[in-house]
Amino acid sequence: MSHRFELTRSLWLKALLKSRLFQPILMLLTLFFFVVAIIAGFFGTPAGSHNFSIIFVWIVWWALLIIVLVPFFGRLWCTICPIPSLGEWFQRRGIIRRIPGPLRSLHWRWPRRLRNIWLQNFGFLAVAVFSPIVLTSPSVSAWVLVGMIGLAIGLSVLYENRIFCRYVCPVGGFIGLYSLVSSLELRVKDLQVCKDHLTKDCVTGTECSYGCPWLIFPGNLERNTYCGLCMECLKACPKDNIALNLRPFGADLLVTKGRSLDEAYKALIMLACALLYSAILLGPWGWLKEWANMASLPHWAAYATGFLTANLLVLPGLFWLATLAAQKATSLQTPVKRLFTDYAYSLVPMGLTGWIAFSFSFVFVNGSYAISLLSDPFGWGWDLLGTRTVPWTPFWPGVMTTLQVMLLLLGLVFSIVITYRIGLQHAKTHTQAWRSTLPVASFLTMVTLAFLWLYMGG
Amino acid sequence: MSELQTKTSSRQSEWLARITLILILVIFPSALLGYQFWLRPALADIRTIEIVAAAPEAGGFQPDVIRVAAGEKVRLRFSVPDVAHGFAIGPGLGLDWSQVDPGEVKEVEVTFDQAGRYTLYCNIWCSPNHWRMRSTIEVYDPEQPDRLPVNDTADPVIASLIARQVDIDAPHEAVTIPTGRPSAARGQEIIAGLGKALPAELQSQVWQRSHSPVEAWQTLEVVGLSEAEAWDAVAYLWLAELDDAQRQAAGSLYAKNCAACHGESGDGQGPGATVWAGQSLDQHSGTHPEEKPAAFTELRTMLGGTSEIYYAKVRRGGMGTGMPGFGPIFTPDETWLLVEYLWTFPLQSKLPSGRQ
Amino acid sequence: MSYERLLNLSPFVILALIILWIPLPFSTTPTTHRVILSAEQFAFNPPVLHVNRGDRIQLTLQATDVTHGFYLDGYGLQTRIEPGISQSVELTADQAGKFRYRCSISCGNLHPFMIGELVVSPNLPFARAVGLTLVVVAATLFYLWRFPPWQV
Repeated sequence: MSHRFELTRSLWLKALLKSRLFQPILMLLTLFFFVVAIIAGFFGTPAGSHNFSIIFVWIVWWALLIIVLVPFFGRLWCTICPIPSLGEWFQRRGIIRRIPGPLRSLHWRWPRRLRNIWLQNFGFLAVAVFSPIVLTSPSVSAWVLVGMIGLAIGLSVLYENRIFCRYVCPVGGFIGLYSLVSSLELRVKDLQVCKDHLTKDCVTGTECSYGCPWLIFPGNLERNTYCGLCMECLKACPKDNIALNLRPFGADLLVTKGRSLDEAYKALIMLACALLYSAILLGPWGWLKEWANMASLPHWAAYATGFLTANLLVLPGLFWLATLAAQKATSLQTPVKRLFTDYAYSLVPMGLTGWIAFSFSFVFVNGSYAISLLSDPFGWGWDLLGTRTVPWTPFWPGVMTTLQVMLLLLGLVFSIVITYRIGLQHAKTHTQAWRSTLPVASFLTMVTLAFLWLYMGG
Repeated sequence: MSELQTKTSSRQSEWLARITLILILVIFPSALLGYQFWLRPALADIRTIEIVAAAPEAGGFQPDVIRVAAGEKVRLRFSVPDVAHGFAIGPGLGLDWSQVDPGEVKEVEVTFDQAGRYTLYCNIWCSPNHWRMRSTIEVYDPEQPDRLPVNDTADPVIASLIARQVDIDAPHEAVTIPTGRPSAARGQEIIAGLGKALPAELQSQVWQRSHSPVEAWQTLEVVGLSEAEAWDAVAYLWLAELDDAQRQAAGSLYAKNCAACHGESGDGQGPGATVWAGQSLDQHSGTHPEEKPAAFTELRTMLGGTSEIYYAKVRRGGMGTGMPGFGPIFTPDETWLLVEYLWTFPLQSKLPSGRQ
Repeated sequence: MSYERLLNLSPFVILALIILWIPLPFSTTPTTHRVILSAEQFAFNPPVLHVNRGDRIQLTLQATDVTHGFYLDGYGLQTRIEPGISQSVELTADQAGKFRYRCSISCGNLHPFMIGELVVSPNLPFARAVGLTLVVVAATLFYLWRFPPWQV
């Protein structure tokens, strides 16, 4: 492990993370905003632009997540997410204290077939297909939030630990994958210490900490994907062997352990959705929006079919052709399926920058709603801070486009470099690796040009 | 810190955390909703009436009847869930609060001085059923709260038409129409030139209102004017009813209440017209679902009708057509203003100011 | 990064700078476009306007179903459109590129996505972005080829 800066060398940071108060306090705070969002969705104005549940969830929280939290801090949102809170506190029989004894639940075992992110892939697509309605109708949005927390609580009663977060949450599916890029990680300092440590307190728990609720053994942790940064292991480890590090972006993309088809598909789905959303929501095609908005059921069915086909067949199909070309043109020994899976990780940087660029479009344009919403979160005519009548004002559209181009190019370069390095993991020579980069690089370039055409072309 | 102290303080923080949880999940929502929906209205200094204004297919104005005592100051709080609406109360109250956009809440304080039945209506096109978006405000006399307010003296003009057995809905094609656009400016000179030769009827507002421009034209032809000259004179006579200020006011009334169907230029091609034409038979009671809003620019139909008939149509509504009745909304004076304004569409030209 | 690498990358950098900043002369005589732009839930009609740089555009804005608004990115134009009352807006398309026009009055659930596009030709910003992309890709591939940063 090179180029790591251990943040937990800071004594006050370590003390903060080791405190049992740290996570619950933050979760109570986010739970409060979660409750506000649900109340706003059910009792506030149906006009989305003046409702907390739309503006502060799909614009403010989403912007924070995709622009700041995920690229820099990985799964840090999971640390403070309110959705698993009630279920976890139910299992633990307490909020802050470590209550002795096993977790409270029915102790069912999560089916082996579902120990992957396929459920999350389809969950994300299910929400995505209804997105024009979910993102704009307060009551529908509130139902989605209620559904998620209800599901999390239900799963906490049936199973142990963070089953919802690990295998069901649609948000977790993609921030897990995209956290491969982030500059923050939690890892053990010295693997030998773990090997020599027989009781593995980080997994079994101690009298002042629980075992890892994310079903991970920190000693095995090589990627950020499934670590929810809850800091239980940090509290448990008697050898002070766990550290929170700053590290170069994308460090996990080249870790071969754990690469799987479900994750590869997630990368493709996220990329496809960014492209499709940019076309459907930001484009000038009214008929497409009408079809997506469920104005007529047959039209929506056609739209949904097209949307899902693009996600599950078209983009993956094109990518498969690229990997096939990579293999055939350079006589790589690796079978195509393996190459498909491995090369898909090169889509992660571009997918992330593509999502950030797409998010800029509605954050820059509609972010000003948040100002008036601070005074009147429910659309009830309140004016808490005097900003209720601040008008809608898009921020700097020209700057936004420049930033989008810069981001897309950054993602493109990063992705091409990763493609080459993944190629090196399969090829025997530099030349072979470089040549096998070309088809995937072409694919990445085409996708970038598609984004540019949608944002700037005409 | 001793183990006992740690245990105690951690027990304390646990209880604090649990209390916070109850606060967040139970106390806060109840307090919030209780405040908004019970305490705040209960503590209002004057009676506050919450009015939700949605498009008619989503409920229209809720509540649909509001009872207020004459002389009682009330606060009307409008909230709009779907699209922009306009609010006005008529007839004759001069209350018009223009638009409220979705998500906004508008509060106005009103005192109704006279008992009677008034109409709260939307005056911005908001749906194919926009004209249905009305609510009744019953202002009762506080001395006699049980007596229902009525202000339904039958409109004298309509009563007179019925008494004279004039069919308000009969077609009124003009037997002859001008070949070019008449010029009211020239008409003004012609009328001045006629001097005493001007037939007496044409100087009477009552006659003018009960006869069509074609009939006036026929009268003028008899006096010796050429066809074109007679039309110019008729144009002047019909357009001179309004001065500039009145025309401005009428134009504003027209824009708010009529233009959406009848078109800004009076051609019957407003956005509401397309919407209306697309509706099926069972969505309105009439037998002429294809009937379009009248085109005021159509000389053949306009010039054969009388101001009285148009007045009646506006107030009563068009039977079986989509034309709503504006009687509950406009005063008779406002209606006459509008009807006089309608003549500017077929007879449009530079409009003279004031009647000779 | 060593001088050798910088030297070898410099042609790409120069190319990129040229693509980004080279002024391209063009000449079309400015014309005036009179367009009736109608707003409906949830699109504009016409959804895309193509003009040349320097052209004058006279828009008559109409709303066909409910109250909408009109806001044009980059021009600071904003107006409210009520059905039956048309609005006039005039502008000169002095910048090339794609500018979105949006609805500025809440008009239903898809209001935030009610968008049209004004494309002012020649669309230099887009062309430059595409050119830049190709240069960047070429530079990256060249760099990986010539200076592989990691051992096999």
